[in-house]
Amino acid sequence: MSKKGKVFAAVFMSLLLLLTGCNNSNSSSSEGGKSATATAPAKTDNTELVVGLDDDPPQLDPHFSTAAVDRQVFHSIYDKLVDVDEELNFVPMLAEKWDISEDGKTYTFTLQKGVKFHDGTPFNAEAVKFNFERMMDPNAGSPRASELSSIEKIEVVDETTLKVVLSEPYSPFLAALSDRAGMMVSPKAVQEKGKDFANSPVGTGPFKFVSRVKQDKIEVEKNADYWNGAPKFEKIVYRPYSDENVRLTNLTSGDVDIISKVPPKDVEKLKNDSNLTLSETGALGFQGLYLNHKSEPFNNKALRQALDLVIDREAIIKVALRDTGVQAAGAIPPGTWAYDDSIKPTKKDVEKAKKIMAEAGYPDGFEFTLQLSPKPVEEQISQMIQSMAAEAGIKVKLEIVEFGTMLDNMDNYKFDAVRLGWSGRTDPDGNIYALFHTDGSINYGYSNPEMDELLEQARVETDQKERKKIYSKATELGQEEVPFIFIYHEKDYKAFKNNLQGYKHISDQMMRFHDVSFK
Amino acid sequence: MVKFLIRRLGLMVVILFLVSIIVFSLVHLTPGDPARMILGQEATEESLHALREQMGLNDPLYVQYFSWVTNVLQGDLGNSLKDNTPVLTVLLQKLPVTIQLSIMSFVIAMLIAIPAGIISATRKGTFWDYFGTTFALSGVSVPPFFLGILLIFVFSISLGWVAPSGYVEPWKDFKQSMLLMILPAIAVGIRLSAEITRMLRSSMLEVLEADYIRTAYAKGVLERGVVIGHALKNALIPVVTVSGLQLATFLGGAVITETIFAIPGIGRLVIDAILTRDFPVVQGAVLFMAIAVVVVNFFIDVLYSILDPRIKLTGGQ
Repeated sequence: MSKKGKVFAAVFMSLLLLLTGCNNSNSSSSEGGKSATATAPAKTDNTELVVGLDDDPPQLDPHFSTAAVDRQVFHSIYDKLVDVDEELNFVPMLAEKWDISEDGKTYTFTLQKGVKFHDGTPFNAEAVKFNFERMMDPNAGSPRASELSSIEKIEVVDETTLKVVLSEPYSPFLAALSDRAGMMVSPKAVQEKGKDFANSPVGTGPFKFVSRVKQDKIEVEKNADYWNGAPKFEKIVYRPYSDENVRLTNLTSGDVDIISKVPPKDVEKLKNDSNLTLSETGALGFQGLYLNHKSEPFNNKALRQALDLVIDREAIIKVALRDTGVQAAGAIPPGTWAYDDSIKPTKKDVEKAKKIMAEAGYPDGFEFTLQLSPKPVEEQISQMIQSMAAEAGIKVKLEIVEFGTMLDNMDNYKFDAVRLGWSGRTDPDGNIYALFHTDGSINYGYSNPEMDELLEQARVETDQKERKKIYSKATELGQEEVPFIFIYHEKDYKAFKNNLQGYKHISDQMMRFHDVSFK
Repeated sequence: MVKFLIRRLGLMVVILFLVSIIVFSLVHLTPGDPARMILGQEATEESLHALREQMGLNDPLYVQYFSWVTNVLQGDLGNSLKDNTPVLTVLLQKLPVTIQLSIMSFVIAMLIAIPAGIISATRKGTFWDYFGTTFALSGVSVPPFFLGILLIFVFSISLGWVAPSGYVEPWKDFKQSMLLMILPAIAVGIRLSAEITRMLRSSMLEVLEADYIRTAYAKGVLERGVVIGHALKNALIPVVTVSGLQLATFLGGAVITETIFAIPGIGRLVIDAILTRDFPVVQGAVLFMAIAVVVVNFFIDVLYSILDPRIKLTGGQ
């Protein structure tokens, strides 16, 4: 071949490669306008629903589950004593009605009649008692034990009536029963299968467990005898996609019908996609920086306050999160009954930060290390914080740490600050007590008797309006003390095919499919 | 032959023993608490301690190691810390998937590489040669994950020919299973095919210079007979080494490809286990991979002696 030919061939090859490379990166951003994604949807069976989860649920036994993603599958297999509606009010589920005594200590539940577990055994007050005792058994090591620790006595009055007496009033009790602690498993199945129960779970829910292949899929089928009317789908297949781009790709190609957790960078694109519906709602958690109060620098309140003041929350939400969050002033998110919108998030004020540091003896600022997860959004947020802090003379060193190691560091107090949040609970106590109380499970060394007293008071107060006032006081105290740097509350997104009808998007982020079907 | 076998088996045992110690130590000395990973961010110190006690993690390391090794020798790889499923069961579940991907990748690689290598060598200096070598260079340079994404974009999103990801057992739906595996197999196989092409090309070029080749031509053997009957067999020896080693690594699972194409193979299993500090699964899986590498190497050596009678198994050459 001639010399010219050789050169031509080489150049041609490299151009080809370059072109395909460029085209690939451009396409993901140019879909802004009138994109209609993909071609023929690969799925044609309308009696089957395929759900794209953000991870593979590690544990199918609700009494031993800790991962949030488990709960998605639970909502098909199990029922809870109470559920929540779109306004997060408690509504009947397995408990038809309930009565709370004046002193707040005795709950009398009237259960639904004629409910059966998937294995045919009856659901009744004895079964509920069995479930509670299973969770409360100190030798079992159930993570639900602490949620039910205030239960002093359980009394089976008759087949469908159960009385639960608490040692002292505990307002978050119903909230606990609207989640895993209220999920009922078949006593017979547990007794027969023991530790193996999680591999073939039995509940009362609208769908029965069929099979699972780890990291591949979980299959459930319709429970035709469901007490509240059979669901419309014959089968649901849950597929885990831990990579968010892969998850989204499968939705746009039509192989998956609905996904949870949409990456912030794709929200805009999905809003404009004519084949898909994007649903947005507030969620229950908070995100920001955990601080280590047991060592320098954050054992010093002035330095915590200073850091709080240099952060421009609005900018972070706009740039790093593409508006998929709202500014946070405390642990309680908007859209919940305890949220007080009169308490405003801290506004950026570099001058004030400098002044506070100077008065505390740090006129030249200070330095600390911020640990974060190896995700692009986290890196962006942390880099923004780094440059904002530099304006006031605070030097931030960024350290990317793998999640397991990060949790380990936090357990051992080997950190200054960590970029992490909390997924949130239906009752405000689940957010604010855990974070602000000396005994709180996600509190890293902060202790204030005044705060403790407020939070303990809120636990036993039964009037919701009064509780809200207490939580407002606690939140204001938190803004002064800065036990945690609040940055934003995430919004929850679900994306699904246009022909999916009946889906109600609830802030607890759980997908419920009883009333859902394809048009 | 028997002496060879005994020596190799002895070596295998020593290697596996060393691997087990290394893996065990690395996994246990990494920061991170499996109890914390299982019970979550909010778990109390007491419940963490109780769970660690239950999992035997509070015992000194050497005790844990000996207990693990004794079980392994009896065929018990232990149970996953996360949900108590026996590690062996999980591995056996994932194995067919990874084997299917490995074999398909290997076959695709060979289907591309052998003709490409031969053509490049025999048509040295022509357009085909440059096409082949450029392709080989790009194949080695392009990261598999990028190639994977590219393939999905072209074939799943733009053309809609295949689903972007997922897995179906071949005995359940053979056609669909092949369709779903084609793209990942290409993504993994292309790199190997590129390496083999280069290797085969230079190996062939060397062989084609040899005297006996000229003799064959002189005797009147046609080109095809010379190339395939004589040259290829000898040129394949270094290729066999590389391919064998690569096949062994394939059996370890292609983590990134498995993630992109949502394939439940061993790669993803191991990564997941590492991130959640599921020690028994990590140990079991790595041990398995080590066994795979050792066994495949053994077969490569046997294959050598078949390809080239001058190479004796007992090491004379």
